Amino acid sequence: MLKALFPTLARVRFVVQLLMLLLLVYGSAIVGHYAAEKISGELPALSCAYDQQNAGYCILIPTQHQIHHRIGQGIVMAQKVTFGVFVPLIMTVLTFFAFFFVLGKMFCGWVCPLGTLQEWIGKIGRRFGIGLRRFEKGDLGDVKRVRPVKWVLLLGLVFLLPLLAGLGVAPHSLGNPYCDICPSRIATTLLTGNTEQLAVSTDDNISFTLNAIADLLIGFTLVGALAVRQPFCRICPLLSFNALFQRLSPMRLVKTKHAACDKCSICTESCPMDIKEISEQSGRKAYHEDCTLCGRCAEYCPQDGVITLKWGPFKLFSSSREYYKNKVKRELPDGTVKPVKIVKNAATPNPADA
Amino acid sequence: MNRRIAIFALAALAGPVLAQHDHSSQQMQASSMPFGEEWTHQPLLLPRPMRNGSRNAAVLRPRGLDVSEVVVYASGGPSEKRQVAYPVTLEGAAIATAGPMVGNYHWVVARQEDENEVRVASTVWYFSNPGPAPTEMLLMPKHELEIVPQPLPREHGSYRESEKWSFLIRWQGQPLANQALTLETDSGTRTRTTTGADGIATVLFPRDIAPTGGDAGEHAGHGPRRVKFVLSTERNAEGKRYLTAFNTTYSPDPDRERSLGWGAAFGLIGMVAALPLLRRRTATADFSENKNA
Ligand code: SF4
Ligand code: SF4
Ligand code: SF4
Repeated sequence: MLKALFPTLARVRFVVQLLMLLLLVYGSAIVGHYAAEKISGELPALSCAYDQQNAGYCILIPTQHQIHHRIGQGIVMAQKVTFGVFVPLIMTVLTFFAFFFVLGKMFCGWVCPLGTLQEWIGKIGRRFGIGLRRFEKGDLGDVKRVRPVKWVLLLGLVFLLPLLAGLGVAPHSLGNPYCDICPSRIATTLLTGNTEQLAVSTDDNISFTLNAIADLLIGFTLVGALAVRQPFCRICPLLSFNALFQRLSPMRLVKTKHAACDKCSICTESCPMDIKEISEQSGRKAYHEDCTLCGRCAEYCPQDGVITLKWGPFKLFSSSREYYKNKVKRELPDGTVKPVKIVKNAATPNPADA
Repeated sequence: MNRRIAIFALAALAGPVLAQHDHSSQQMQASSMPFGEEWTHQPLLLPRPMRNGSRNAAVLRPRGLDVSEVVVYASGGPSEKRQVAYPVTLEGAAIATAGPMVGNYHWVVARQEDENEVRVASTVWYFSNPGPAPTEMLLMPKHELEIVPQPLPREHGSYRESEKWSFLIRWQGQPLANQALTLETDSGTRTRTTTGADGIATVLFPRDIAPTGGDAGEHAGHGPRRVKFVLSTERNAEGKRYLTAFNTTYSPDPDRERSLGWGAAFGLIGMVAALPLLRRRTATADFSENKNA
């Protein structure tokens, strides 16, 4: 029975993502209306605080606010840097970590509403035969070129500008600049039928510009996701924030060396983040900063036990030839669902050869 | 590829340029002097503007009633801190949050009683102090005739023009059906609604805020402008008149300060900018093309 309902890891993940999307976007009816009743104010996923019906807020909003008000303005008031100004932020990060410890970066691959939306749009793209575009040489360019952007956004918009605004160096309207450009704010509020966040603030030029960027980003993401997997995730500052802590959670991806890897790379093809390292490397380097722990690579690795999702000593899912054979009958590594007629080409390994 | 980047960059750059339109209407102006409250005769608890706005202290001044203390109710904390009386001086009542983790929302009551009348002013005050939700604190009976928000706006939110909010009217702790509730706003609106069988009245906040009305929000120029309103209800019982008021602020409808047209336009530009990504049709054909290139 369970096996019929959840034949693959992907199906389990789909159901989890669906439930998480419903909970995080509409869950106030279950958890409650006030901040104290939310699951957490520091979630490691873009569950937006601007969504009035949500069940929890993402970590980036308290981080920006505390750097702005408690650290920046705290330093101005005390005329010096004291330990006290950091306490609220430390508490916030500790609460975040209580959640992150359990699921690690699965918050991206399994929980985040914006991650889920992008993935589902991608599924629609595959269904309608829209060509998959990849970050690789010869297509959209080397994936390494986009990777630094998420760090720049984290450092600049989540840490630095709120601090400068708090210190009075930057204008007050740069107090939470990441939220102002965040596409999840637009997407999740639109999902609740609220167009207030899509509307750009005409308060001042800075807010207008930042809000306009958010709208450009969500427009670009929604259409781009038809062809590129997880287009926004690649530059998401929460991906880099989570990456700061990814080695501290017992939840991780473990890849062992295997002779077949040199000629295979099917895991990279299946990876929504185009992570080359998962096929080229093993051990620590294979669990990359961009990984969202979606587990697709483990599903598509045709070698027994080479890629494993683990929580501490416990194996949650491990690659196997048997599983792989069934999996490719349903869906190709690039996400194409009806594979049979168009499979044969150099890039997509023939399941029968594996 | 470069062309796509160029389109996107162009779209992003268009923002600041297009934003050069007139924002002069955003100049903040206080609509009325803090204590020249001509707009209502109801008893009020009004905040004194604080020079160095502290997160954990405020001064509230009773108006329209003569009281020696105000009582502040918190959502959590030890029982002796859930209900604290503060003396009223010439300045007003200097209230504070009673300790850590008692909750953000505090309910404040000033009650005056003589032979003929019981007058109550009540308001809600937000201290940045995480702790329990105010649900239970609101449900706890505090005096005879009460106006209880069901619920309060979520933290960092506010009552806003064109929104409907529910208020419970209670008499001696029990819901009071068919009771009139009057809304008066600093912008000059006066409306009346009546409670249903469950004691709940639904209040529609009027769209009546003048373009430059209200006081600047939490921080000047940041956060919505705020305009005062008061809800009041009265009842005669046991030979006495009971008058209860609840006052706080509401804010302009956000769409006055936001442009949906521009928002939709930028969203569409973003979508168009992504279109070149979809150009190639079938996944596998393209893929082999790339590989062979
Ligand atoms: S706008 Fe984005 S970063 Fe800010 S609270 Fe919402 S989801 Fe989080
Ligand atoms: S990387 Fe993607 S899945 Fe992770 S938080 Fe950002 S948008 Fe969500
Ligand atoms: S490396 Fe594997 S688990 Fe990580 S994002 Fe890629 S496919 Fe998902």
